[in-house]
Amino acid sequence: MSLIRTSLHNAIKNIARNKLISVLCLGIIAFTLLIYGIFNYISFNLNLATREFSKSIEAIFYFKDNVDINRIENLIRRVKNNLLVEQVTFNSKNQAETNFTRQFPELKYILTEFKQSPFPASIEITFKLEYSLDTKITSFLDEIERMNIIDSKQLNTEWAKKIMTIKKFISIVGLFLSSILLLVSIFIIYNVIKLNILYRKDEIHILKLVGATNWYIKFPFIIEGALLGFFGSIMASIILFGLLKLFPTYATFMFDLIKGMINVEIIPHFIFIRLIVLGTAIGLFSSLFSTQHFLKT
Amino acid sequence: MIEFYHVSKQYVKNQYALNDINLTIEKGEFIFLTGASGAGKSTLLKLAFKEELPSKGQILIDSFNINLIPEKKLFKLRRNIGIVFQDFKLLTRRTIYENIAIPLVIRGERKSVIDKRVHSALSLVGLTHRRNYIPEHVSGGEQQRVAIARAIVGNPKIIIADEPTGNLDTELSIEILKIFERINANGITIIIATHDKNLIKMFPKRVIRLEKGRLISDWSKEEIL
Ligand SMILES: Nc1ncnc2c1ncn2[C@@H]1O[C@H](COP(=O)(O)OP(=O)(O)O)[C@@H](O)[C@H]1O
Ligand SMILES: [Mg+2]
Repeated sequence: MSLIRTSLHNAIKNIARNKLISVLCLGIIAFTLLIYGIFNYISFNLNLATREFSKSIEAIFYFKDNVDINRIENLIRRVKNNLLVEQVTFNSKNQAETNFTRQFPELKYILTEFKQSPFPASIEITFKLEYSLDTKITSFLDEIERMNIIDSKQLNTEWAKKIMTIKKFISIVGLFLSSILLLVSIFIIYNVIKLNILYRKDEIHILKLVGATNWYIKFPFIIEGALLGFFGSIMASIILFGLLKLFPTYATFMFDLIKGMINVEIIPHFIFIRLIVLGTAIGLFSSLFSTQHFLKT
Repeated sequence: MIEFYHVSKQYVKNQYALNDINLTIEKGEFIFLTGASGAGKSTLLKLAFKEELPSKGQILIDSFNINLIPEKKLFKLRRNIGIVFQDFKLLTRRTIYENIAIPLVIRGERKSVIDKRVHSALSLVGLTHRRNYIPEHVSGGEQQRVAIARAIVGNPKIIIADEPTGNLDTELSIEILKIFERINANGITIIIATHDKNLIKMFPKRVIRLEKGRLISDWSKEEIL
């Protein structure tokens, strides 16, 4: 217990002693984690948006002309019985015509040209929320589309798919940037600890001569690395939190797409926990590495 | 028991700091290791606690070949040996109290135990009034006594002291030697490297003399008398 306490004490003293190096180191760790946090946040919001879009998955199937009404009824029954489906509504040719004239009364004259409604009959399927964007839905839709009574279909899952693509792209960019910065952070902590070890070389030698274990000597340095990571991640968290609080002000200047996709109300706490765990882990492993290399004898 | 078998040490090729040393030191002995400067006294002591490795030969402590101790286990050997270094090797940024406490702190002793033992070591070397000073604010002689206090505070089985009176006047040297005698009376092996002939005369003990890395004489206490 007292080893932990003295190690913490020494580590903090060390961090305070090398102010310039510590500030530099903390700044870089904080920057790394901030970038990582921002990408996490964007990805989190895109996920939310995808879920929002795919909540209301609807598919409209247009029938071919002169399809046997029995076959249509069969299909409707089948769709209704499917567990994924929330609701099915049938739109006859005439209903489609009425809808059209209601929506565009000034174009009503066009329809007088036709003996019969030129609009195809259709069914509109709404899926249950919990099955949003499920692959089962996709295969179910494909199955219906392949039936010979179907002329064409219209899906509103396109948006969700687009957002997914954007999300994938952003994730890759985020991962790439974060990895590079992560390596930089590891490199920095590794070297800060190395400098400290070299600075205290004589002291370490003396401690060994009077019977200190390797672990006793290593421990303060490892703690110091972990603390650097921890403080860096706290800094990153504070900055990220501030940015997210300020964001709504800027969001109004952004184009509509982003505004629609990002829910500024929600500040996801898991991101901060992730940052702190990651930061501390980076510090811990980099310093462990460093002590492994520079405290051999 | 400490045994040296055909031990040689070369820091530089073809220059023997120690040359074929054979030596047995029984438990509880009090030994002076003497010889001119550069004779190899410090080297011989450093080999015993594995600060340096022999170029040839074997060193046994309690019948265990210390060559075979892995780096990780070295601390066990060193906790049994209290060392007074010729250059003191005090931690510059710690107080005298903290310096003396180190052998106990690294063993994870309780604070109350540390406090008690450090205070008795401090009073033994007469430095109680200096306990909160840092080493560079006290004299060379006082630093030397801090080194002595640190060597004895952990109740080692063996005490190795390299010129422990080098910076002390005669009166204090005698005082320190008396402390070592008292510790020795409890069965602790004491090995002191010194070139102070007067001191050796005043305290008749076994004397091992080195010259240019060779052991040239080994007189028992009786022979000295
Ligand atoms: N680290 C070292 N590197 C090279 N030569 C050394 C080293 N330490 C001691 N020596 C040489 O070994 C010889 C013995 O030195 P030392 O053991 O310190 O003698 P003493 O303690 O009797 O004065 C001397 O010639 C010294 O120059
Ligand atoms: Mg010497």
